[in-house]
Amino acid sequence: MHILVCLKEVIDPEITPQAFRVNAETRKADVPGAALVTSVYDANALETALKLRDTIGGTASVTVLSIGAKSAEAILRKALGMSANNAVLVSDASIGDLDSAGVATLIAAAVKKVEGEGKPVDMVLAGRQAADIEHGQTGGMIAEALAWPCLTFISKLKPSANGIEAQREVEDGHLIIQTQTPFVATITNDQSNQPRLAKVRDVMMSNRAKIPVWSVADLGVAPAALAPRTRITNLEIVKRESHCEVIEGETAVDKADALAARLRELKLV
Amino acid sequence: MKSLVIARSGAQYAARKMILASVHAGNATDVLFFGPADEAATLADCGAGHIATWSGATLETNPADGPLAVIERYAGETKPDLILFAGDSSGREWAPRLAWRLKAGIVTEVVAWSTEGETLAFRRPVYGGKAVATIVSDTPQTIAVVQAGALDAPEATAAAATVKALDYDIAAQASWPAVSNRVSETSSGPALQDAGVVISGGRGLGSEENFKLLEPLAATLGAALGASRAAVDEGWVPPTWQVGQTGKSVRADLYFAVGISGASQHLAGLTAVKNVVAINTNPDAPIFNVARLGVVGDYKEIIPPLTSRLKEMLGK
Repeated sequence: MHILVCLKEVIDPEITPQAFRVNAETRKADVPGAALVTSVYDANALETALKLRDTIGGTASVTVLSIGAKSAEAILRKALGMSANNAVLVSDASIGDLDSAGVATLIAAAVKKVEGEGKPVDMVLAGRQAADIEHGQTGGMIAEALAWPCLTFISKLKPSANGIEAQREVEDGHLIIQTQTPFVATITNDQSNQPRLAKVRDVMMSNRAKIPVWSVADLGVAPAALAPRTRITNLEIVKRESHCEVIEGETAVDKADALAARLRELKLV
Repeated sequence: MKSLVIARSGAQYAARKMILASVHAGNATDVLFFGPADEAATLADCGAGHIATWSGATLETNPADGPLAVIERYAGETKPDLILFAGDSSGREWAPRLAWRLKAGIVTEVVAWSTEGETLAFRRPVYGGKAVATIVSDTPQTIAVVQAGALDAPEATAAAATVKALDYDIAAQASWPAVSNRVSETSSGPALQDAGVVISGGRGLGSEENFKLLEPLAATLGAALGASRAAVDEGWVPPTWQVGQTGKSVRADLYFAVGISGASQHLAGLTAVKNVVAINTNPDAPIFNVARLGVVGDYKEIIPPLTSRLKEMLGK
C-alpha cells in the first residue's frame, strides 16, 4: 500500500490578530520573521497515513509531496523525521499565483510521475483545507483530475475486506463509507490523527535525505493549463474593537452572582 | 444574471437564506432541491422561479456522487451564471468537484458578493478570520459556497415558485464510495447551529468528565453544548460539538466560552453571535477581546454558583 500525502507550507496560523499584517500590493500575509509550518489539517492527514501504513505493515509506505517555494523542503524533512518514507517537492519560480485547480493539476501530474517511476499510488490524502487561505477546494479537484473516488471530511481510515473503510464526519454524526483503492481523501481533525513527535534517529536520517525537486516542465504540464480562474483583488485586516465588561468580585461566588445579575439586567437570560 | 441554488432536505435555514440573498441581489433564481417534493414546496415563497427536485435511491448510498451527477447534468441543461452551495459537508464536497467539471471559477466561505456588470466579486474571511479577501471570478460560470448565516438575505414573501420532480435516472457506479452505516449523535436540547444559548468548553476544561459540569447550566438556560477544536482533538467531546472555522457556525444570542482561549479559528464560528460571555483563568486570553462580559477565574468555582443563582432568578 503506497500512500501519498500532500503537505502545504503556510504562515503560522497561531499568529495573533494583533501581530498579523498583510501587504496591500502583493495581497498576501506579511509578518517578517513569522514561522512557516505544515498546514494543520495536512499534518492530520500525515498522521492518518503513518498510522495506516503501520497498521498494514509489510511494504506499505508513505510519500509526502509539497507544491511550493524551496522553503517547503523544511516541512517535507519534518515529515521524513516523523517516519514518512519518501518526499518530493514541486517548485518552479516560473509559476505565478495558482488557484486550487492549478494546484490540483500539478498534484495529479506529480502522482502520475511518481507512478511512472514504478510505485503505483493507492491513495492520496490531503487536509480538508489549508490553514492560510482555507479554500477547501484542492482535495476534491485532485480526485476529479485523477478520476479517482473522492472522500471528504474523513477522520479515520482502516483496511477492509474489499479495500478501505472510512469514517466521514457530518453535521449530525458520522458515516461509515466503503471504497476501493485508489482514491483521494480529505482529512479532518480527530483525536486519532494528532501529529506524532519525531524520533531523534528519524530526524537525523531526514537531515541527510536528498529530496528531488520537480519543475512544471518535469511534470509535463503546460503553463497555460495553470492559468487561474479567480484572483484576489483585495486583502485587508479585520479590525476588532474590544468592548468587554469585566465582572469583578472578591470571591468566585461573588463574581458568579454579579455575572448572573448583569445577565439579567441586560435581559440576556 | 441567472442563478441556481443547490438545496437539500434537512438544511432548510441555509436554503432559505441562499434563495433570499440571490433574489435580493436581483438574480433570476432557480433551485435544485435534493429530497421529497413536499419539503421543497416549503421554499416556494422565497422568490425563486422554479424548484426542480430529485430524490433517487443513490441519495442514501452515495450522498456525494449521486447528487453531483444530477447537479452536473442540470447545470449543463439550464446554464446558470452563478451556482450557490451551502457551506456544509455536502456543499463543500459538491462545489469544488463541479467547478473542475465545468471549468468554472469557484469561491468558498463567501459572506457577501456583488456584481459589477458581468463580473462577480466575493468577500470571504482568510487567515483564520484575521483578514478579509475580495475574490473576482473570470469565468462565464461561477460557483460560490456560502456561509448562509452571514448573507444579506432579508425575509420576503413572493409568488409561489413552480415545483417539479426531475426524471433523471442516475445509476450508482461501482467505483463510487458507498455508505454502509450512519451514526447520529443525538443530544437532548436544541441543535447547536440553531440554539439561542450555547455553553461551549475548551482546553481549559481539562477532561471529558469536566464537561458534565456544564450540563446543569445548559439545562437551566435551555442551551446547547459546544466545544473548541482542542476539546475534540483531546477526544473529550464528539466532532459534532466543534464550533469554529471547521466546525459549526453558531447564531446564538448568548455564547458562554468556558476555558476557551479564543484562537481566531474558533472566533470564526462566532461572527453571528450577539453576546459572548468569557470565563477564563488567563486575563490576557484573546477571547476577552470579543466578549461582551468577562470573568477572570476558574470555571469550576464560577459555573456552579452561577447556575444556582440563575436557577433562583428564573424560578427553576
